[in-house]
Amino acid sequence: MNRTARILLVDDDVSIQRAVAPLLRSRGYHVDVVSTGVEAVTAVAGGGLDLIVLDLGLPDLEGAEVCRQMRAHTRAPIVILSARSGEAEKVAALDIGADDYVTKPFGPEELLARIRVALRRVFEAEAPEVERVQVGDIIIDFARHRVVRADEEVRLTPKEFELLALLARNADRVLTHRAILKAIWGPNAVDQPEHLWVLMGQLRKKIEPDPGTPRYLLSEPWVGYRFVSNPD
Amino acid sequence: MGYDDLMTATAAMGLLIIVLLVAATAPLWVAVTTSFAAVLAFNFFFLPPVGTLTIADPQNWTALFALLVVSLVASNLSAVARARTREAEGRRDSLARLFDLSRDILLITDSQEANASLAGFISRRFDFDYVAICVPQGSEWLVFEAGPLRLTLDPAQLSAVYRQVEGGQQPSAGPPEVRFVPLRLGARPIGLLAAAGRPIEDATLDAVAGLTAIAIERAQFLDERKAADLARQSEALKSALLASLGHDLRTPLTAIKVAASNLQASWPDEQERRAQSDLILTEVDRLTRLFQNILEMARIDAGAITQDTRWVSPSEIIEAARSRVEPSLRGRVVQVQADADRLVKIDPRLTAAALSQLLENAAQYSPAGSAIEVHATVGADGLTIAVRDRGPGIPEADLPHVFERFYRGANVRDRRSGTGMGLAIARGVLAIERGRIAAENCSDGGVRFTIGVPAEVK
Repeated sequence: MNRTARILLVDDDVSIQRAVAPLLRSRGYHVDVVSTGVEAVTAVAGGGLDLIVLDLGLPDLEGAEVCRQMRAHTRAPIVILSARSGEAEKVAALDIGADDYVTKPFGPEELLARIRVALRRVFEAEAPEVERVQVGDIIIDFARHRVVRADEEVRLTPKEFELLALLARNADRVLTHRAILKAIWGPNAVDQPEHLWVLMGQLRKKIEPDPGTPRYLLSEPWVGYRFVSNPD
Repeated sequence: MGYDDLMTATAAMGLLIIVLLVAATAPLWVAVTTSFAAVLAFNFFFLPPVGTLTIADPQNWTALFALLVVSLVASNLSAVARARTREAEGRRDSLARLFDLSRDILLITDSQEANASLAGFISRRFDFDYVAICVPQGSEWLVFEAGPLRLTLDPAQLSAVYRQVEGGQQPSAGPPEVRFVPLRLGARPIGLLAAAGRPIEDATLDAVAGLTAIAIERAQFLDERKAADLARQSEALKSALLASLGHDLRTPLTAIKVAASNLQASWPDEQERRAQSDLILTEVDRLTRLFQNILEMARIDAGAITQDTRWVSPSEIIEAARSRVEPSLRGRVVQVQADADRLVKIDPRLTAAALSQLLENAAQYSPAGSAIEVHATVGADGLTIAVRDRGPGIPEADLPHVFERFYRGANVRDRRSGTGMGLAIARGVLAIERGRIAAENCSDGGVRFTIGVPAEVK
């Protein structure tokens, strides 16, 4: 990491602020804290933020609305804090442009890991766009539409490659089912997730060492999928 | 025809009228006897030789015979007509009774008591001395009796009769004067109806049995529907509770989890450690309060709270309520105005519990730092306490529902923490004191909750 990252913590609950803000500061981040959606949008409009931690369930604005307004000002990753009862709101926020989420109650390590991954993407994005990526024993060559696993070429159908490329280009970021369906099949397909399930099944059979327990292409239950850039 | 003949004919007519009059009002045997008496009297007094029962002129035999035949036919016709009338009246009476009975049946709402009250209705409507509805239950019999007469039905005999009924035969008579009739739903027998103490038509008794069977079935339906309603309600309550807990437990648990990990780490300095442990204590208080509310609600539901009244002053109650929710009121100005020199006889514990929920509610839904006003007045019929906040108010659409359990207004749902239990608890607690609670938006902003508790005052 080449500079101190600035994080905006948006949560109306004082105890979450008082527990999480010192934790983030202890890891060397610069942390600003606000309690409402309006304050958050104002702070984002001011610029200079590298990442936003956004609690869904603010007193003034819907989570998805906060995301939408923030996206007008910044491309910085947004990590959502959500309670499970706010499932629909969480998906709506991800659809609109949030990058990742942590479900309450979360532990500090979980939150820190999500923040680290999201920030890495920020700093990598500042580097020029890549032609090919290597993750574990998989090499994806975007320009030549080729995928090699363990030195053997994997034959993918065009749709399978499209899905893998979409997830890999957004590595470590949750893509919702709707977003993927829209990107690959078009806006008319967003309510037909079965296409995606079938295609993901085929892709995992070709890419994953053990399709039953995926390492690269992870499901985010009820939400979407995530391509993991450093499987351990 | 001479004058005597004319006399004789007039006399015969007169006697015939008497016979007809008698026949119209008296039973058949009286009318027949009268007919014969009239014939004898006609013979004796009017047929020559007058004063004897002998008949000189054979032509007069014809007259005498004609009188007898006309009298008897008239008596019989009249008796038949009256029997018809009586039968019709009886039928109308049975119909009226059956109608009354069916109305009784429709009024049965409590299925627990259905069979017993049904027997009572039948005995009352049909003036039976004894009515029993007998329902087989395994090898035993459930017998619901009514009426002034005390009889003991032998289960073995009931079973014997029931077997006949199931076999499609007519049930034999039971003990002296007790009549059995099967209770059937469609063709399927479901029990026996026993009746004694009043003669009754078979058809009527069958109709009673039919109604009884329908009533029993109806009671079962009611039972099942009530059970289904209850199950649905408690299901809805459970999921509302879980959703609300899911929401309300997660935030304090997250704060505790993160703060506890912070304490384990090496980075916090002494001051930060203190702050983190304070945080944990505060959140534990919050969780404790949540569980108190859940327990309180469960106790209200179970009817486990009783009223315990004593003389207290309104300000004592307000003090008690404030101390119950002291952490939530931290940093808030509570302006109290209370009648100082009056006492009320109420349960201070219950009233303070209800009031504390209102205070907490006011603190939760109004801006930090804004004032909360508490106004207690003692009137002739009890204590009234108003709590007023300076929050955004309650949307009109939500006002009627705010005291419903787990109901959360559209403007605060998923926004503010809160379980939707507080106001429901306040109402539940007040109900034990026969008190009431109301909410209204104030014209100059904020919400005013008013609780009223009926009580002796001095």
